[in-house]
Amino acid sequence: MIRRALSVTGIIFGLMAAWVSPVANAAECGRVTIADMNWASAELAAYVDKFILENGYGCKVELVPGDTMPTTVSMTEKAEPDIAPEIWMNSVRQVVNKSVKEGRLKIAGEILNDGGEEGWWVPKYMVDKHPELTTLEAVLKRPDLFPNPENKKRGAVYNCPSGWNCEIITSNLYKAFDVEKAGFDLIDTGSAAGLDGSIAKAYNRKEGWFGYYWAPTAILGKYDMVKLDMGVPHSSKEWDRCTGQGNCADPKKNDWTKSIVMTVTSGDFAKKSPEAFEYVSKRSWPNTVVNELLAYMDKNQAGGEEGAEKFLKSHEALWTKWVPADVAKKVKAAL
Amino acid sequence: MSEPSWLFQFPEMNKESLRALKKAFDVGYRDFSRAYGESIETFFEPLLTFLVWFEDVFTASPWWLVIAALAALAWFVSRNWKLVAGVTLAFLAIGYFGMWEDTMSTMAMITVCTILSIVIGLPVGILMARSDRLQAIITPALDVMQTMPSFVYLIPVVMLLGIGRVPGLLAVVIYAIPPIIRLTNLGIRLVDREVLEAADSFGADYWQRLFGVQIPLALPNIMAGINQTIMMALAMVVIASMIGVKGLGQPVLKAVTNQYFALGLFNGLAIVALAIVFDRMTQAYGQRLQSHRQISNE
Repeated sequence: MIRRALSVTGIIFGLMAAWVSPVANAAECGRVTIADMNWASAELAAYVDKFILENGYGCKVELVPGDTMPTTVSMTEKAEPDIAPEIWMNSVRQVVNKSVKEGRLKIAGEILNDGGEEGWWVPKYMVDKHPELTTLEAVLKRPDLFPNPENKKRGAVYNCPSGWNCEIITSNLYKAFDVEKAGFDLIDTGSAAGLDGSIAKAYNRKEGWFGYYWAPTAILGKYDMVKLDMGVPHSSKEWDRCTGQGNCADPKKNDWTKSIVMTVTSGDFAKKSPEAFEYVSKRSWPNTVVNELLAYMDKNQAGGEEGAEKFLKSHEALWTKWVPADVAKKVKAAL
Repeated sequence: MSEPSWLFQFPEMNKESLRALKKAFDVGYRDFSRAYGESIETFFEPLLTFLVWFEDVFTASPWWLVIAALAALAWFVSRNWKLVAGVTLAFLAIGYFGMWEDTMSTMAMITVCTILSIVIGLPVGILMARSDRLQAIITPALDVMQTMPSFVYLIPVVMLLGIGRVPGLLAVVIYAIPPIIRLTNLGIRLVDREVLEAADSFGADYWQRLFGVQIPLALPNIMAGINQTIMMALAMVVIASMIGVKGLGQPVLKAVTNQYFALGLFNGLAIVALAIVFDRMTQAYGQRLQSHRQISNE
């Protein structure tokens, strides 16, 4: 009787174990939170990480919506989320470096191995019509080609959204290059959605547009734009002294440099889940792949999840280098 | 993996057709904005000119003149020294903490939005009170306007009109106009039938009845509607600044992205101060209208 009862319980437990097995596996890796930043390339990376960590390492992954500053602060102060797949170091270099020194954050690796590109851009169709418009100097001579919608007599420079670090940089360069005297107003776009919308509107009607943007992004994958030659070399000393600082009194001419784009984890993550940390530190892709996927996502109105699946199916040679063979096998099986 | 079955999985539209449907919408809208964007923009041009001019008036006037005008307005609507002192103090504090220009931009925007809402909302509310069928059509539309997340319509508007004041104004008006429509409708419907019968027996025609009886009796409700419209317009300030409208919303956004607690708090409080000032002024005015009515009733 007892034996039978035991065997029944055994079966029940066996069933439960089978039922719960993903959770049991997860115990090895544990719960991992990944910041799902509100721009497309980072969203794609977050979903790729989610798929690989869940299916290859048996982690239980949760995506947490985020943005550069709130996420870095939360990771520094609360060690949550564990992974920020895409941090553009130009905008938060000092904050991140300080936290890394204190051991609160850890830099896992460079996710974009070509680096990101930031700068002032104009649409390609403007350059086709006026071939000289590839330099800032030439653009500044023609405010009439880039009219400010609220004051047609002046030109407009579309700034980076309020509160982003690139807003400070663009405002400083606006001063340094005497753009105001050249007849251009600096337009606050408010949010990434506002900035993107202004580009989409200009493109729909082939109007002049001149402002800040960055790559790899869906926008630059979709709309052909030309990055302006600023006419001066990048000076990192000047950048740290003034260009990147708010309230700098005497900004000097400067150019952007290649942005280093890193995957950052909370300080304890490497100890908590060493295998997962190993993976994120190896995960790195070229801009061509990212642009291709962003264009795919945009064309098909696909979210990060579908984009990640597409990537894992079409770029096997790339991602299998990031993980050990047995993990790769598991990920492939789940596709 | 388990068999997909309609019992466990919702029998949803297949992915391809859903994608095609969404794309059809987007392409359709894009073609529309390419074809008509420019003419729609020209249509709103006078409004933009007015907005820019109005904001210039606010920001270019000397601060003491603006405060004096507001204090005078407060006195005119309330005849209450406490309110006048409160308004003056609130604006002095805003100026002292360095938010004068942003506050003026916001105030200009809110004023234009309120005027526009009244100009459109009042007639709509009156029409709605006349016809039950119209009420049945407009009420759900108002529900959509109040609950649809603003960004859903903001981005299409930005693609059509660009970023800046006009799309911001549209967003604010869409969100802020329902209360005035609803309360005008309600106020007129609440007017006593016997009073109307009396007006009819004196031989009042439709317009006399409307302007002589219904609107005056509905005024306290209409004032409450205007009050709510202003409050909701102020609540939209931050959203509007996300598409490049100048004002108190921008520092709030900056504070949010950078965790500048104090900056956010100061500007948030300035919005609250504006809200309280306008709320007290419109309420005092509404009450004065009501007390006037009570005296005349006696």
